[in-house]
Amino acid sequence: MKIVYNWLRDFVGVTAPPDELASRLALSGTNISGIENGAHGAVIDAEVSSNRPDCLGHYGIAREVSAVYKLPLKPISPKPQESVAAKAGDAARVEIQSPELCGRFTARVIRGAKIQPSPQWLKDRLEASGVASINNVVDASNYVMLELGHALHAFDYDKVRDHRIVVRRAKPSEKLRTLDGIERTLDPGICMICDGDGSRAVGIGGIMGGAETEISFSTKNVLIECAWFDPIAIRRATRILKLHTEASTRFGRGADFEMAELASRRCAELILQLAGGELLAGVVDVYPGKRQPKKILLTRAELLRVMGADVPDKQIESSLSALGFAAVRVDQNRGAEGSLLAAWECTQPSWRAEVEREIDLIEEVARIYGLDKFPPRLPAARQGAARLPHYEAETRLRERLIGLGYCEILTIPHVAEDRDALFRPPDLQPARLANPLSEKANVLKSTGIVTMPAALEWNLNRGQRNVRLFEIGRHYRLHGSESVETPILTIGTTGEARAKGLYDTPRDYSFADLKGDLDALGALAGGFTWNEGGPAWLHPARRGRVALHNEAIGEAGELTLRIADQLKLRQEIFLAELQLPSLYAVIRAAKESRKYEPVPRFPAVERDFSLLLADGTHFSDVAATVRSLNIREIVFIEAIDLYRGKNVPAGQYSLLIRVTFQSRETTLTEAQLTDFSARIVAALEKQLGARLRAS
Amino acid sequence: MSTPENKTALPLMHLGVTRPEELAPLFAGLRGRFDEECAWACDDSSWKQFRDAWLGRKSGVLTQITENWLEPATIELKRVVGQELNQLRAHVESKIEERRKAIEAGAGEAASARERVDLSLPGVIRPIGSHHLIRQVFQQIEDIFFSIGFSVVEGPEIETPYYNFEALNIPEFHPVRDDMDTFYLDLPKGATPPLLLRTHTSPMQIRTMEKRQPPVRVIVPGKVYRRDNPDATHSFIFHQVEGLAVDTDITFCDFTGTIEYFVKQFFGPGVKTRFRPSYFPFTEPSVEFDGSCIFCGGRGSAAGGGICSKCKGSGWIELFGAGMVDPAVYGFVKYDPKKVSGFAFGMGIDRLAMLKYGIDDIQVFFQNDVRFLRQFP
Ligand SMILES: [Zn+2]
Repeated sequence: MKIVYNWLRDFVGVTAPPDELASRLALSGTNISGIENGAHGAVIDAEVSSNRPDCLGHYGIAREVSAVYKLPLKPISPKPQESVAAKAGDAARVEIQSPELCGRFTARVIRGAKIQPSPQWLKDRLEASGVASINNVVDASNYVMLELGHALHAFDYDKVRDHRIVVRRAKPSEKLRTLDGIERTLDPGICMICDGDGSRAVGIGGIMGGAETEISFSTKNVLIECAWFDPIAIRRATRILKLHTEASTRFGRGADFEMAELASRRCAELILQLAGGELLAGVVDVYPGKRQPKKILLTRAELLRVMGADVPDKQIESSLSALGFAAVRVDQNRGAEGSLLAAWECTQPSWRAEVEREIDLIEEVARIYGLDKFPPRLPAARQGAARLPHYEAETRLRERLIGLGYCEILTIPHVAEDRDALFRPPDLQPARLANPLSEKANVLKSTGIVTMPAALEWNLNRGQRNVRLFEIGRHYRLHGSESVETPILTIGTTGEARAKGLYDTPRDYSFADLKGDLDALGALAGGFTWNEGGPAWLHPARRGRVALHNEAIGEAGELTLRIADQLKLRQEIFLAELQLPSLYAVIRAAKESRKYEPVPRFPAVERDFSLLLADGTHFSDVAATVRSLNIREIVFIEAIDLYRGKNVPAGQYSLLIRVTFQSRETTLTEAQLTDFSARIVAALEKQLGARLRAS
Repeated sequence: MSTPENKTALPLMHLGVTRPEELAPLFAGLRGRFDEECAWACDDSSWKQFRDAWLGRKSGVLTQITENWLEPATIELKRVVGQELNQLRAHVESKIEERRKAIEAGAGEAASARERVDLSLPGVIRPIGSHHLIRQVFQQIEDIFFSIGFSVVEGPEIETPYYNFEALNIPEFHPVRDDMDTFYLDLPKGATPPLLLRTHTSPMQIRTMEKRQPPVRVIVPGKVYRRDNPDATHSFIFHQVEGLAVDTDITFCDFTGTIEYFVKQFFGPGVKTRFRPSYFPFTEPSVEFDGSCIFCGGRGSAAGGGICSKCKGSGWIELFGAGMVDPAVYGFVKYDPKKVSGFAFGMGIDRLAMLKYGIDDIQVFFQNDVRFLRQFP
């Protein structure tokens, strides 16, 4: 809504300069987005909120100004000269067949109007308001709309069949070519303005007129429509038709029943002034929606309960009355100013249909008084505050990942269906969007991992070759018609684990790096177990499943070549995805159950065993074999070195393991250690066919 | 027979020393050797070696003298050996300490230039990651509200129209729905209710009040979605923190006091605040909350002249919407609107982060360029 400063002054004698006025309006509830100083004076651009249709005209804004500045508002009372002989009621008839869609319909008729371009002053005001000038009659209706906030429509009277208007619901699939030249298909929820016997539609009620009855330079006689349409039906229609007009905005937010006749009269006055002609006496006014104004009670007690600070009686009364609520004290203590029992009976003005409750009046009083007059205070808390249950686990996980060199990212969960399918487990129902913005973003990611390669790719394409990322987010799936959102940790890395530097040689990131980093996270939960296997998107030779207490919680490995190729990723990519709910629960439980274990007092002794093993024999087999001896003094079994190649027969590999012995009771003797070693070697030879290498 | 180096490894008897007067030259020889070696200790490592050779607890010269000369000595020798040893020890300790000071003071300059670290060279660089900026801002906001008694709760991003709209007093075809273009899920035919991506975190107001009785004080961080075409200031996904406080005695003054406290904690004590009346279907009175422009200090004019582009010359920047909970909302959660009152707010995190850190393109939050991410470790 563009507020033309000089136009405003037609109704209220405000003298404050435009910028000050704009700022006062902003602080009393009219959202101001800017001020322009144009050829026709200052124009204040207001973004009127949807609950204030009364402010979609200069008069409504003037009422706000009068309340804020405590200035009188000039009444609107057009008295156009009417014909003595001819009556509107004889010249036009109106029938409303759908009173639930159209609560009032007024018609006035002007004969012998001369359609011509508008005078300059009118063009100027329309231009300042951003409305194109068309001809004097159409301009008059637009002018009144901008002045009083109520939309009108002017028909070429002679093109209205039988000079009869019928308001009815549209028929299924009924069509109408609107003023903008587009043929529109309607439905029975939409209110149609028709003529003659009601079979021909000549306009969509409250939204747009039809082409066939529009005013042209050959028009002689004019029928002015000024009506009231149901706001919900209008909003529904604009949504269906995808047609938003100045009229639909105003009717869609709830127009003023009473204004319908007044605006029509004002429009007639203006047309007579601009185009001459004869206004037929009276008005055709079909008004099935007439209602009694509501009474609303405002009490000081409630005002204090909600606002926490008081407003003086005089201020309450003057604000409400200026806004049209006619506040009258009705309590027992009527004489006593500032009484805690004070109560005012207010009458809802027809232009404020949304003000129905005491709280609505409190808001009116507060905003005109000034929100800054209510002193801020910080209320005391009555109870302790709680973090999210997984707050600590998530924080420790995040800090650990960052310490390990991973940057936290946030990805957009909207992905392309085919990309999602690359990583989606079979038989899973993804959450597809019914109205995606594009086909590249038509499904919500059904795995955490699916958005990670793109994040790596973004960086690789920008010369960042060593990238470690993680995301704590969710994946989204459907179970039937129910949605399931699961918190998930995703890790993605590529490039070097260690860069070439002054003190180090470079080394590429490998599966072992990923496993080590994940195990550093697993340590928070008492340790992960790793099992064979994994999803098809991971390289079959370099992947694994991660479990906690036998519950599978994720997978990790190198992106399979097939997908890497498809995504044009030329570096090796390592990925992992972990379900967070189980991980959080176990981290919490592990923390709760941890107990102190005395630090051993006796020295530990290490013994190394260099083994030749058949390919396919796992370190876990070696460790299990050693453990199966049940030697209590064994505290660690570590793999120290692994080697294939020269001096190692094909089909075998060399593994150096280190076993650490420590007793809680005594210092181990050389004889004990020799015995342990012998038993270990014997067991490995017997059970795994291992051979001890001469070192 | 024996060289001076290992003399102290042998008992006095083996050295042929039997009379007290023979001890003085013996000790004098050691002192001479010490003084000679002392000059070689010209840097940290040679000094340490030298110190250990003489004062080392296991095999230092003085320990050897104690173990090999003093302890087995005959009664007539013991007193003199003790005296000589003490004198030697005093000499050795003071000289070694003197030497250390000299080395540190740069006496051994040639050596220390070689040895001294080049502070302009980097240390061993270990990769350290970074927190996402949005996550950091969430954390800051959570911490501020947590400190004044607000608990943190989370909720689903996929919502029903009931929680996202209806229970928040936004019936179908309400004009406010036009400002919240909504993504809907494609559900099996005939499935009810429809599912949508929440357009704000406000549904959690309803979910929280359904579960808890007043007093309620919660904040809700999370992702929200609006079907807007992306540009520098719009993203169809962004982040919000919802807040809700309901009790038997919460007033508008408590509301503005809480918000003002937050803004001063978040942007700094110098930031001024103001409340403009506004409209949201689920709050009344509703306000739009402004902070004084942090780019021009609230003056409205840019440093180089002209108006400040960030606040368009007004000196104020719109921060977020808020208000007293509309009594109609209590009806949906079976609270008695005559007995309780409260306030709610919803702040856009991306916008706050952009304002606070001077970011001019919302898309950087989702591109995940490590050169951006690492700016905010
Ligand atoms: Zn500024």
